[in-house]
Amino acid sequence: MMTSKTLLAALGAVLFSTTAMAEIATGDTSGMRIALSNNFAGNSWRQAMLKSWDEVSSQAVADGIVAEAPAFTTAENQATEQAAQIQNLILQGFDAIVLNAASPTALNGAVKEACDAGVVVVSFDGIVTEPCAWRIVIDFAGMGSAQLDYLAEKMPDGGNVLEIRGLAGVFVDDEIHSGIVEGVETHPQFEIVGSVHGDWTQTVAQREVSGILPTLPEVDAVVTQGGDGYGAAQAFRAAGRDIPLIIMGNRHDELTWWQEQRDATGYETMSLSIAPASAQVGFWVAQQILAGREVPHDLLLPTLVIHQDELDYWLGQTEEGGVTNAFYTLEWTDQMIEAVAAGESVPPTPTAE
Amino acid sequence: MSAFVELAGLEKRYEAVRALDGVDLRVAAGEVLGLVGHNGAGKSTLINVLAGTVVPDAGRIEVAGEDLARGYDVTTATDRGIRCVFQELSLCPNLTVAENTRIVHRQIKGRGWQARARALIIGTLDAIFPGHGIRPDRRIGDLSIGRRQMVEIARAFTETETPVRLVILDEPTSSLDSTAAEQLLAYVRRRQADGVATILISHLLGEILGAADRVVVMRDGKVVADRAAAGLSRDDLVGLMGHVADQPGEGQGRRRLDAEPVLDGPGPGGRHRLELRRGEVVGLAGLAGHGQTAALLDVYDRPRDFAAVGKLAFVAGDRQSDGVFPLWSIKDNIAVRSFSALRRNGLLDEAAVTGLALDWQKRIGIRTPDVRNPILSLSGGNQQKVLFARALASDAAIILMDDPMRGVDVGTKSEVYALIRQEATAGRSFLWYTTELDELVHCDRVYVFREGEIVAHLAHDEITERAVLQASFRSDAEAVA
Amino acid sequence: MTIDWRELVRASLPALALTALLVAIFWLQPRAMSYQGLNLLLNLSIPIVFATLAQMFVLTVGDLDLGIGGFVTFVACVTVTWLADAPLIGVLILVAAIAGYAAVGALIELRNLPAIVVTLGMSFVWFGLAVIVLPSPGGRTPEWLIAAVRLRPPGIPLAILAAIVIGLLGHLLLMRTSMGVVLRGAGGNPRAITRAGWSMLRIRMTLYALAGLMGVLAGLTLAGITTSADANLALRYTLLSIAGAILGGSQFTGGRVSPIGAVLGALVMTLAASFLAFLRLNPDWQIGVQGAILILVLALRALLDRVAGER
Repeated sequence: MMTSKTLLAALGAVLFSTTAMAEIATGDTSGMRIALSNNFAGNSWRQAMLKSWDEVSSQAVADGIVAEAPAFTTAENQATEQAAQIQNLILQGFDAIVLNAASPTALNGAVKEACDAGVVVVSFDGIVTEPCAWRIVIDFAGMGSAQLDYLAEKMPDGGNVLEIRGLAGVFVDDEIHSGIVEGVETHPQFEIVGSVHGDWTQTVAQREVSGILPTLPEVDAVVTQGGDGYGAAQAFRAAGRDIPLIIMGNRHDELTWWQEQRDATGYETMSLSIAPASAQVGFWVAQQILAGREVPHDLLLPTLVIHQDELDYWLGQTEEGGVTNAFYTLEWTDQMIEAVAAGESVPPTPTAE
Repeated sequence: MSAFVELAGLEKRYEAVRALDGVDLRVAAGEVLGLVGHNGAGKSTLINVLAGTVVPDAGRIEVAGEDLARGYDVTTATDRGIRCVFQELSLCPNLTVAENTRIVHRQIKGRGWQARARALIIGTLDAIFPGHGIRPDRRIGDLSIGRRQMVEIARAFTETETPVRLVILDEPTSSLDSTAAEQLLAYVRRRQADGVATILISHLLGEILGAADRVVVMRDGKVVADRAAAGLSRDDLVGLMGHVADQPGEGQGRRRLDAEPVLDGPGPGGRHRLELRRGEVVGLAGLAGHGQTAALLDVYDRPRDFAAVGKLAFVAGDRQSDGVFPLWSIKDNIAVRSFSALRRNGLLDEAAVTGLALDWQKRIGIRTPDVRNPILSLSGGNQQKVLFARALASDAAIILMDDPMRGVDVGTKSEVYALIRQEATAGRSFLWYTTELDELVHCDRVYVFREGEIVAHLAHDEITERAVLQASFRSDAEAVA
Repeated sequence: MTIDWRELVRASLPALALTALLVAIFWLQPRAMSYQGLNLLLNLSIPIVFATLAQMFVLTVGDLDLGIGGFVTFVACVTVTWLADAPLIGVLILVAAIAGYAAVGALIELRNLPAIVVTLGMSFVWFGLAVIVLPSPGGRTPEWLIAAVRLRPPGIPLAILAAIVIGLLGHLLLMRTSMGVVLRGAGGNPRAITRAGWSMLRIRMTLYALAGLMGVLAGLTLAGITTSADANLALRYTLLSIAGAILGGSQFTGGRVSPIGAVLGALVMTLAASFLAFLRLNPDWQIGVQGAILILVLALRALLDRVAGER
């Protein structure tokens, strides 16, 4: 199994051997400085994100690609505080700011200041709407519709579906839900027979699913938002019901359960979520812009999808208690930028193979 | 002379107390009126009514021939030239001398108001207290207490649009040195010629007799005498302030001078020792605010300096601010002083607390269906009983009482007096500050306070209203000395 | 004529703190020493200055306002929604909000309630109203407001110009006018004010209305800078404004306030955060260090008082 470090070494080799590739901008960025402005560090996903940033930035500094790429996190997760942080980063003379924003709109003033000062701003995950910034958009709606596409492939005759939603009132929940609704329209053989809010948490999902199960007819599949699949499985088991096809969300416990079921009964499903290493894409996009490349302002990041045959590999990449992470290289970022510029579908999440 | 102010039939009640009980008062233009009386005589309420800060329950207020009783307030009073210097100062410590002058003059505003305010107050200060040395831009909080009083007095005499017609001076010389006091009284007399009337309240009877044309004596919310000052003596005034039938305290025959002392230390001022013997009830008398509470606190805070034998307990007079725990139950309010004795295994023994509370509820007659009720469900008098019970239920041998019967109804009072007698017989000692002359009859001995010092010591058979009043009000000879 | 040195040092303490911070920042980050640099460093201070003045007006009467952060947030949310879409209704809401502040002052005076409890309760009310007005982040600040806070006056950055103007106006209003004297007096000795025939009710309502007005200006400028809003936008302004006002020489006891000091205090609080960021201090430590700076300045002031007391 390859570790991140060896992957990174491989990346270095690739970088120097493929300079012939026309698309990758090769302008000198060795004297430039990129900052990560982050609003919040209080959960495992964010911790993994900061670790991914640290990996790519320390390697890039060691390789002389950039002079410096530190991460800054605000203490109180408030927009005014992050706006002040961005203004301080401008003052400190950073050439680019990679931004995970506290608010999609409330930082626009500060972002505009940065643009006016000639600073490149690349937002990801928590994106900003200010037009001068770049956005690496995560396709949450696609994450919803992909689940129905997979179900249609597995069960062409359709069936009853239970939907587990996230935290009510949050933008991400609305987006994924709209993708699922869209998927059901595309595949009308499926019917959503029930819907609960699992708050992206195993225990809540288990409680809520247990509550609704007695009112439901036979459930053939469960669509989820991540962090809730294992709880759903526990609820079905406790109710003495047959366990349906439950889509997983890349959490370690979910993948472990899936592996056990697969080995015991040949259980089949899929798993998908956002990789925290999306920060690395932000880094490379910023570096490429600094190197002189024309990059579309709205970029797309695919979800990290785990299929039946990749399960063992990705579970090996996942820390206990954590979320599956990937490693985005400059090459992958290049392909993604190309695909978006050409209006094609973006490449899948990279694997070491 | 026609009356500038005419008050008739003024009445004001505070719960059980009749502060004003049908008061008539006339003040003529240019007259200096002395107003005397002991604590609770109603002087304070009367001048507050005149200043517009207290609304009377009934009565007529006429100023310069105009009937103003309805809606009479501070603005009405000031618009007609009535000013008041209260005993506790009414200056804002955070503002300068000039700014404090602006506070009382609505007319001082607009461009250049500061210059006008400065000129006004300094001009008046110069007129009253030549050589005062006060700068108009000094903050009041940075001035000495005497200079603050000068500023407040001068401020009352400043004039903008409305001329000053009547100035009420409540103990104006309490913080002034003798020169400044002389300057003030001279100024008051000078202004008489301009038709400015003055009401002068002072515990210095020499001051009253020297400055006033006429003296009004109050007692128990009534005007009991209204005489021309000429021909009155200090003794006459003291006689008028007391009750007509004056006799030594109802003899209880308790002589405890042979009992061993439980307190013995230098009294405030150093002229008399402060002594308390086992089983004794010793009164602290004199006009309110002349150092009695400070003396009690002194004993309570530093019992060793007074060679105290046994523990002390304090019964507060101001129930709301330092007496009751308003959120607690009655029983906890009674037991709080004894909590450390009511512990079992380090925790509070609830049964013992309730037992103690029930015992004292019976003994002192607290009227409540359940001692677990909140303390605020009780009337004022019963709350005061709780404070007594707290002190008496404790293991204290010496009970210090800070004028605890203020505003308490007659029934409660007599119950508490009986209890004090009974506890004293049982060997407890009481140091009792009271503002009510009537209460002194329950004391074995009395110390009279004036200006922070003990000025007289009255043995049991010497306790008369007259004697207390004599000592409370300074005589002419002493004033000069 | 003698000079009161203690008073002089005391009054110049916030100015000294500000100078020290500026020198340290210029040394760490020389590029801050330019028009653009100062602009970036200070433009977020404008709403904080207004919020601090709001707090100071409430401190004037001896109260403490724990609702100002929620109020500024509410105003910002109204600005990006109603004021942008239906300006007339937006203005009416803001005027009503100021009246609401005055009403809170009236309630505190009439019912003799502790201001700290009432304003704490109000902070939840304002937050709730903000969520109702703007359920999810977004909205758009009116263009004229964005243009206004982006003004580039020649020679002097807007934030500094605004601080000077606000400080001087506040000083004139509260320290120099005859009305200001009465308002301050109410904090020093309310009984004296009542005895002079002034209505404490009207004074408290006036001061709370002034605080409301400052809160509205803080919300407007904040929305102008951020160009949109969310319902958590300014919640931390509550503590920032208290810290700024106290740093600037105001006292909890009432009546002892200084508008110029409050403006300087707000600038110090803004710059302290930047200074710590330039030091690359771990963010977990930054709040603590900000608090330490506050304690340091207050301790210095207490020391001055003690020295003066021994004289």
